[in-house]
Amino acid sequence: MTLALIVLLPFLGSLCAAFLPANARNAEAWLAGVCALACTVLTLGLYPQIADDGVVRFVLPWLGQAGLAFSLRMDGFAWLFTLLVSLMGTLVVIYARYYLSPEDPVPRFFSFLLAFTGSMLGIVLSGNLVQLAIFWELTSFSSFMLIAYWYHRVDARHGARMALTVTAAGGFCLLAGVIMLGTMAGSFELDQVLAAAEAVQSHPWYPVMLVLVLLGALTKSAQFPFQFWLPHAMAAPTPVSAYLHSATMVKAGVFLLARLWPVLAGTDLWFAVVCGAGLASLLIGAAAALFQRDMKGVLAYSTVSHLGLITLLLGMNSRLALVAAVFHMMNHATFKATLFMAAGIVDHEAGTRDLRRLSGLAHAMPITATVAVVAAAAMAGVPLLNGFLSKEMFFAETIFAGDGLLLRVGLPAIATMAGAFSVAYSLRLIHQVFYGPLAQDLPRVPHEPTRWMLLPSMLLVAACLLVGIFPARTIGPVLALAVQSILGAETPPYSLVVWHGFTVPFLMSAIAFAGGIGLYLLRWFYGQRATGGAPLRAPFDGRRVFDIVIVVLHRVAERMVRFASSRRLQLQLLMMISMAFAVGAIPIATHGLARGAAGLTPVDPVYALVWIVGCVCAVGAAVQAKFHRLAALIMLGGAGLFTSLTFAWFSAPDLALTQVAVEVVTLVLLLLGLRWLPRRLDLDDPDRRTRRARLRRARDLALAVIVGAGLAALSFAVLTHAPVEGLAQFFVEHALPKGGGRNVVNVILVDFRGFDTLGEITVVSIVALTVYALLRRFRPAPESIDVPRAQRASIAESGIRAFNPGELLPGGDLRIPAVLVRLLLPMAGLVAVYLLLRGHDAPGGGFVGGLVMATAFITQYMVSGAQWVEWRMRVHPQYWVALGLTAAGGAGLLAWAAGRPFLASLGADVTLPLVGPVHLASVLLFDVGVYLVVIGATSLMLVSLAHQSFRSARESFARDGAGG
Amino acid sequence: MSAWFAHLPVVPIVVPLAAAAVILFLTERARVLRVAVASVSIVVQLAAAVALLALTTEAFPDIWSQGVGAYAIGGWPAPFGIVLVIDRLTGLMLVLNAVVTLAAFVNSLAYWDRVGPHFHALLQLLSMGVNGAFLTGDLFNLFVFFEILLAASYGLLLHGSNTQRVRIGLHYIVVNLTGSLLLLVGVSLIYGVTGTLNLADLPARAAALSIADRTLFDAAAAILAVAFLTKAGCWPLNFWLPGTYAAASAPVAAVFAVLTKVGIYALLRLGSLIGSADALAHLDGSALLRPDLFRGGLYYLGIATMGFGIVGTLAAQQLSRLVGYSVIVSSGLLLMVMGLDHPPLLAPALFYLVGSVLATGAFFMLTGMTERAWRSPPKPASAAAEPALLPAGGYVPYGVRRAPPVPEQDAEVGVAIPAAMAFMGLMFAFCVLLVTGSPPLSGFIAKFAILSAAIHAAQGAPWATAAWMLVFVTLAAGLASLIALTRIGMRLFWSVTGRNTPRLRVLEAGPVAMLVLMCIGLTVAAGPVMRFFESTAASLRSPQIYIETVLATEGSR
Repeated sequence: MTLALIVLLPFLGSLCAAFLPANARNAEAWLAGVCALACTVLTLGLYPQIADDGVVRFVLPWLGQAGLAFSLRMDGFAWLFTLLVSLMGTLVVIYARYYLSPEDPVPRFFSFLLAFTGSMLGIVLSGNLVQLAIFWELTSFSSFMLIAYWYHRVDARHGARMALTVTAAGGFCLLAGVIMLGTMAGSFELDQVLAAAEAVQSHPWYPVMLVLVLLGALTKSAQFPFQFWLPHAMAAPTPVSAYLHSATMVKAGVFLLARLWPVLAGTDLWFAVVCGAGLASLLIGAAAALFQRDMKGVLAYSTVSHLGLITLLLGMNSRLALVAAVFHMMNHATFKATLFMAAGIVDHEAGTRDLRRLSGLAHAMPITATVAVVAAAAMAGVPLLNGFLSKEMFFAETIFAGDGLLLRVGLPAIATMAGAFSVAYSLRLIHQVFYGPLAQDLPRVPHEPTRWMLLPSMLLVAACLLVGIFPARTIGPVLALAVQSILGAETPPYSLVVWHGFTVPFLMSAIAFAGGIGLYLLRWFYGQRATGGAPLRAPFDGRRVFDIVIVVLHRVAERMVRFASSRRLQLQLLMMISMAFAVGAIPIATHGLARGAAGLTPVDPVYALVWIVGCVCAVGAAVQAKFHRLAALIMLGGAGLFTSLTFAWFSAPDLALTQVAVEVVTLVLLLLGLRWLPRRLDLDDPDRRTRRARLRRARDLALAVIVGAGLAALSFAVLTHAPVEGLAQFFVEHALPKGGGRNVVNVILVDFRGFDTLGEITVVSIVALTVYALLRRFRPAPESIDVPRAQRASIAESGIRAFNPGELLPGGDLRIPAVLVRLLLPMAGLVAVYLLLRGHDAPGGGFVGGLVMATAFITQYMVSGAQWVEWRMRVHPQYWVALGLTAAGGAGLLAWAAGRPFLASLGADVTLPLVGPVHLASVLLFDVGVYLVVIGATSLMLVSLAHQSFRSARESFARDGAGG
Repeated sequence: MSAWFAHLPVVPIVVPLAAAAVILFLTERARVLRVAVASVSIVVQLAAAVALLALTTEAFPDIWSQGVGAYAIGGWPAPFGIVLVIDRLTGLMLVLNAVVTLAAFVNSLAYWDRVGPHFHALLQLLSMGVNGAFLTGDLFNLFVFFEILLAASYGLLLHGSNTQRVRIGLHYIVVNLTGSLLLLVGVSLIYGVTGTLNLADLPARAAALSIADRTLFDAAAAILAVAFLTKAGCWPLNFWLPGTYAAASAPVAAVFAVLTKVGIYALLRLGSLIGSADALAHLDGSALLRPDLFRGGLYYLGIATMGFGIVGTLAAQQLSRLVGYSVIVSSGLLLMVMGLDHPPLLAPALFYLVGSVLATGAFFMLTGMTERAWRSPPKPASAAAEPALLPAGGYVPYGVRRAPPVPEQDAEVGVAIPAAMAFMGLMFAFCVLLVTGSPPLSGFIAKFAILSAAIHAAQGAPWATAAWMLVFVTLAAGLASLIALTRIGMRLFWSVTGRNTPRLRVLEAGPVAMLVLMCIGLTVAAGPVMRFFESTAASLRSPQIYIETVLATEGSR
């Protein structure tokens, strides 16, 4: 439970911190400080338990099926790190309170700082590998937000993005690696995984898994070749750099390596990759640190170098090296955080961190200088400081690491060289900033900061000294506990004393010191001549590579998207059609297409002629669609007419009737719409005559022929197929006895499959509503606003006639048609109702009835104009639609009252006055609904189109008015 | 048939239809009433969906003890009439649709429902179509509901029409009409060959076909699949998708996040019924087209789709397009999983499906808000441009009356939430975590479960390479969207100039928070949720119960 509290407390604090006001610096600092301190105290309280039992656990079930649990596990090593994270967190909070200026919005800072603390504690305490990967990514995200704290600065944004990309990519690799590891070990629980070293190392996946896990660890710890993100992360506020980018987060990588050391280490691959990366980082970091101009830059590269040292130790496959690595993790955290804090103080008080401008600050800020000098000495490895101890251990290990001559001589030599670099850059940092004459042209006059700002670094320096002088009594037991929890019974003997005598490591230290001073002098002369910048830096400049990779990624992606898709409709349709053809053709290509057994009817020449004309019409419509719309529409109508003839020919009067009515209505509506379309394409458009265009048309023609032929072949095969015993028979048998209608087609529509019909009238309604909604906002293209030619002629003849609502018949050419149309209306209404009512027993039905009625309305509009019609007739098509849907749906719901399922038909025989006995059925109500919807939807579209003329008249008026 | 749940299966279809009809009786000015009707309808749909889902689980052992319920429309017995079928997958999808529709509906109240007529009616009808497509157990009826949802989606896409919406909308309509044509061709061929439209009747009849007929049947099924793949956003049938989703208004894009999954649902359902091992057991495998060819096709199309989605994500310059591409990525992943046909992968894939719909839905709505912060919204043709030329006299013809004025998008309507930028930033961060599958939210859980199952399977399965490919593409997709989203997010939230802090209303911000909270809920309750998905996946693996329940449905005539 305490473990859960340790992890959750910072997250809770983070949540609270986010809601405090923007200027509540003290409240925020108290909140964060108390959270971190509470974690520290809780951790300290657990020490006796850890010392006695070794491991404390806390498990909550989560996704057990996949082996994921919320599992916390604290052993000596985790305890040490927990203490480091929470203690360092407390100190950083105190420091940050005085570091941030009053203008900085503090809630964001402390909220993410606490979130980071929680995530880091989560990593350290995870008892489940997947859970570890979760917290791992969380540290990347909080680090991203903290680096970009001052997001108005370009370097902050850029650095944050780079850090996130690199570490998150590593995190994804780690996730894959961890899942593989868990699969190999049989569990994601750390205990089981650590016990499965043999199974894991002999598994064929071991190399891949190792590389993936290492990618995660090395990116996080900024190891070669991923070291480049860390220096750019220095754009973060200094407390963040001290905490995340030196003491804790970057340690997560080496923490993981140490954590999994028992199960992963011991192979040649481990040695090669981990040592290689460590060695490279050690040298590159140390060399680059010597040439930085920014104090934080020096510290960042030195962090890369020291983490390289730890990685190198972990890669040596030696238990003593592991002890040294764990020891150095702690030491590095103390002295590096101190140095960062000192750099922050200098920046805060002097206004710059530029090494070329700073000098002699020891005169102005003696305490800061003292603290920095001690910490830098620890970094350089001066005796009586903690850095010296772990450095000696490191030197000692390098001597025994390898077998070959190259390793036996090379490794110590390189280690000594890195030590010399370390001395040199420590010396440079201190000497440049604090000694010499006091710089005069600084942005601010430097002075000592408040005591509270110094306190954290003073405490840390005290720790450096204490550990350096009395290692066995201070860090000894804790280190032993940590190392034992990793190595168990195999913990090697080691001694923590300051003076081992004149040994080889001591000699190496001495050489390193001498070399370091020499290097510093060399660097000094070099600095006098050159403009700065490290030699040999370019080949290792990961940042440029990163930038180029990202830019290339986006460019290539854009190009690929353009290649792999298109915003052109034609290409999309081409893809759909050819894909449908291809997948349909695969089975047929495998097994062939067999013509069915059914016999063919003899060819009737008249019918064949009808069909040929119909086909010509269809092709003609397609050809002319783009160039002569009117002709295309007329031919489309022709094709539709022949379709209805076909239905009639094959004794399907219902279908034929409906088809004719549909053709009439759609054709007229399309013609009305034609008026508002922009001008058609010219046939002699030069674009049409290019080679490309010809090829494209040829391709489309070929595709159309092939796919059409294929579809025809499929239809032929299915139609000649022996009739299957299925629905049709049931429908025919039950239409009269159970459906109560002699017209099977109608019974299918309103009863057997009334649900489909209900759906289809809904579709019709939706389309009408959409057309209306679209056209209400529609403004005609400028070229189609003008009055059409025909009307213009009549206007020229008799002048513009004002609309006269009392006029019974229009004048001019339309007078005779108007008479006919007026007479037609009542007749059409009668026919429509007749068709509706008889539908259940004879050809007809609500759909046809509705269309007939709609046709009558359309003719009124066409002949008399919208204004005249609507003056006399209140057309509210939307209500017709609503009423229709209500009637059809209501007919279905009636069945509920009778305790029967939706749309079950009900009937009752009643005797009406005057009419006599009548069979009333709910299906009739349903059909009435269909009738109403069809009328409503058709009129809605008609009205939407018709009212365009009001609009265009207004536009045209407005334009002419403005012009004249 | 008089128990309280007797008519429940048809409620998700009837209620939105009735609501739409009532809304159409009300004038545009009676907005409050329209909204009230729509809210009641959506709440009822949600309640019905939850109840239906609960009925299929063990919580109600007496009702539908096998987890499948059937409802015979019109009282006609099973293979002849239309049957609605409810099982766990259906219930799940119904709840998902109701939740997203609710969120989009509330979000639209802040602004979008007033920029054009009929928004609420169309949203109800879209919901009806989607619910119907999930519920129906009849192939032609499925086509009908596809038509309903497509028709409504045309209307909603064009809602608040501006030039871009009309241009994209016409493409969308043509593409989907072509898709519907293919669907119709497939359905009629299947009917012609097997003589049935009932999904439960289909497997037995398909299994009894001669080789020649089976060939026709396979061709028909393949054409049908192309139609569904178009809907699902499978490459190369998805060129329309990013533009369409980017052009749609924010709440509409959010509901569109469900639409692609209707295609996935149809493939899952048909795959379960006619492609499962049970259904293919009686077939002489050697003589016929092997089902693994079909599965393999899905797998490779899935890879191509994911690849396209990844590349598109990296190339996208606009947040809404980017989210559109992540919809494509999620479809691609699901197609790959379906193609692999490995039982342990199915439950995580369903988890992923649910999570990604919620996440992309939230993201689309958020996109609407962020776009508002950086540039003035594309103004729909203003009310002033509407014609005022009315016929003389008192009568105003239908539809000529001026629409109610469209409010300014930043007008101070409703309760504004404090710290708008912080809220948007936080929600953006959550959405990024969800979409990229980063810890600790549901996107990660789903991804982890998929990866874990795939890596497990790679241990010794003959198709190890395919599983590794799945692992690789999944991780690459996450990384690509992370890179792209940080780029766009930094431009949106951290650019110094050109931003005005918008006023956010609870109405538009609330739904985003709600969807995100649901994702968090999915994360916390990952164990039980995954157990439910496992049982769902198991029922898909053994369609026998579905078939038996449906065919046992008796008519009441």
